[in-house]
Amino acid sequence: MININSLSKEYIMGDNKLLALDNIDLSINEGDFVSIMGSSGSGKSTLMNIIGCLDAPSSGEYHFRDNNVSTLNSNKLAELRNKDIGFVFQNFNLLPRLNAQENVVLPLLYSGKNLKERNQLAIEALESVGLKDRVHHKPNQLSGGQQQRVSIARAIAGSPKLILADEPTGALDSKTGLEIMKILNDLNAKGITIVLVTHEDDIANYGSRIIKMKDGKILEDKKNVNN
Amino acid sequence: MSITDLIYLSQKSLRSNILRSILTSLGIIIGVSSVITMISIGSGARIEVEQQIERFGSNNLIVRSQSSSNRGVSMGANSVNTLTLKDMEALKEELPAIKAIAPRVSLSTQIVANGNNWLATVTGTTNDYFDLGNWKFENGRSFEEEELASGSRVAIIGKTVQKNLFDNDSPIDEVIRINKVPFTVIGLLDAKGGTAWADLDDTVIVPLKTAKQRLVAKKFPGDQIRSMTINVRSSDLLFKTEKDVDTVMRKLHKISANGNPDFVIRNYAQFLNARQESSRVMSILLATVAGISLIVGGIGIMNIMLVTVTERTKEIGVCMSVGAKKRDILLQFLIESLMISLIGGLIGIALGLGVIFGVSEYFKWKMSLDYMSIVLSFVFSSSIGIIFGFYPARKAANLNPIDALRYE
Ligand SMILES: Nc1ncnc2c1ncn2[C@@H]1O[C@H](COP(=O)(O)OP(=O)(O)OP(=O)(O)O)[C@@H](O)[C@H]1O
Ligand SMILES: [Mg+2]
Repeated sequence: MININSLSKEYIMGDNKLLALDNIDLSINEGDFVSIMGSSGSGKSTLMNIIGCLDAPSSGEYHFRDNNVSTLNSNKLAELRNKDIGFVFQNFNLLPRLNAQENVVLPLLYSGKNLKERNQLAIEALESVGLKDRVHHKPNQLSGGQQQRVSIARAIAGSPKLILADEPTGALDSKTGLEIMKILNDLNAKGITIVLVTHEDDIANYGSRIIKMKDGKILEDKKNVNN
Repeated sequence: MSITDLIYLSQKSLRSNILRSILTSLGIIIGVSSVITMISIGSGARIEVEQQIERFGSNNLIVRSQSSSNRGVSMGANSVNTLTLKDMEALKEELPAIKAIAPRVSLSTQIVANGNNWLATVTGTTNDYFDLGNWKFENGRSFEEEELASGSRVAIIGKTVQKNLFDNDSPIDEVIRINKVPFTVIGLLDAKGGTAWADLDDTVIVPLKTAKQRLVAKKFPGDQIRSMTINVRSSDLLFKTEKDVDTVMRKLHKISANGNPDFVIRNYAQFLNARQESSRVMSILLATVAGISLIVGGIGIMNIMLVTVTERTKEIGVCMSVGAKKRDILLQFLIESLMISLIGGLIGIALGLGVIFGVSEYFKWKMSLDYMSIVLSFVFSSSIGIIFGFYPARKAANLNPIDALRYE
């Protein structure tokens, strides 16, 4: 599903060059549950953003399913993000003015689904994360765990093939974090590929494969024996 | 993404800032209300002029007696009647451009009929008076030659007089007493309505000879008359004829070219032109205000949209992360600025209507509400919204997804 070949990302700040990703090779298969670990600044988020077609690499190749991503225009990238990829962010990134249902409807709006269909899908997605009774709550009327569940519902509403979760439990207590992980685990069981970034071992252990990064390089990439 | 969805999203964010949106559209509000008022003043003046021509007839000059003040003391407008029927005949003779002249004597007096009393203006004249003044008959007829020549006691009355004396019943063949003299009503004139200064239908018309013999013998001795309405053959000849009338009259009255005349010539077209001119000046003034306010309003919208885009950078990133295309973002912000300007437009239209109503009530100016002006206002305000909203919207649409998402 994901094929990355000698991919680098360079940030230039004044005279300084910073190599956030250094010649990375990585492939991820459909149905994988990959946990990425590594110290702060090792390039995990940078990699996630490139995989998610939010950011472009400085060099190297990235194939997502049948697409050579670096050749795609911004409309096609938006379409990939819309249909095939779902994001779950550490800080939820919900729109504050919209209620839970409207937030979940957002990607469906951009994919052009009709009113009835998208409301149906949004309610189903919210139901599947256990928020059936919170559909009309605004983000500031929800707890952190509930907000993260809304953002998972938003990520899955358009039935994507891939979910990218960058420290989804980072802002939550450990009990709530485990609830979120259970939801992601269930999604993976249904065949959705998951790439997860975390600092915590017991969260990473949900993955079937654990990648360790350091200074923009992949240090270690192995099957998770504990899983 | 459909337009209804875009509108839905835009109104969501506008509502969270409703006061700011309205304040932003202040320039548009003033601009649009000026546009509406301006157009309405313009078309009001045009309609009023048309109505006046309809009422008073076109191509007419009016010559009136005027007490000349060169003898030292003004004697008041009504005290001297310097015009005579001889003047009238001479003018007809000398100036072929004149098609007809209607002479007029008048007095204001009590009319009694049917046990009712009414004070009206009584005019003594000839049948030309009806043609020249665009008078139509609702009922009955004009004077017959024999009645004019013999000074019969017949009268034609206006609608207001009919209403007050006959309670809207048919007045034909009824007898009215003018200054205690009985007259038979032979005709009823169509209503013309009022002007700002007079009710034209408050009139009684009798043959010139009858009036001079029985009603105003003292006031208009001999062949004196109060005024005459001169009808010129075509409008091109109006101004030349006005000069010619002046020349001939001065000759007849033995007044030198630069002496003070004992008559005054009113050119109705002149009055109408003045009316049109003053409304034109007003319109230019308002157009300037409208133009400036619309531009200021547009810049206001651009400014607030730039602020909005910056404020919502992260939000734009979120939308892009879930699949918003550049076009979606562009349209969303464009529709938002369009909505601000349309809100301004709506308030402006309401304000404009208020101003129109106020001005027409207060100044008694004829203001006509032109529906085109409302359409025009919508076109104006929406183009302002789109033109000035485009730059901020494009700025939003061209944001890099990851930079927008990371923006704090
Ligand atoms: N927009 C940017 N401009 C310049 N440097 C950047 C930018 N984004 C990231 N970096 C740098 O790239 C490196 C990798 O950053 P990245 O966010 O991928 O780290 P991370 O592994 O996700 O860290 P954390 O665990 O703290 O989230 C860091 O050194 C960071 O300072
Ligand atoms: Mg990170």
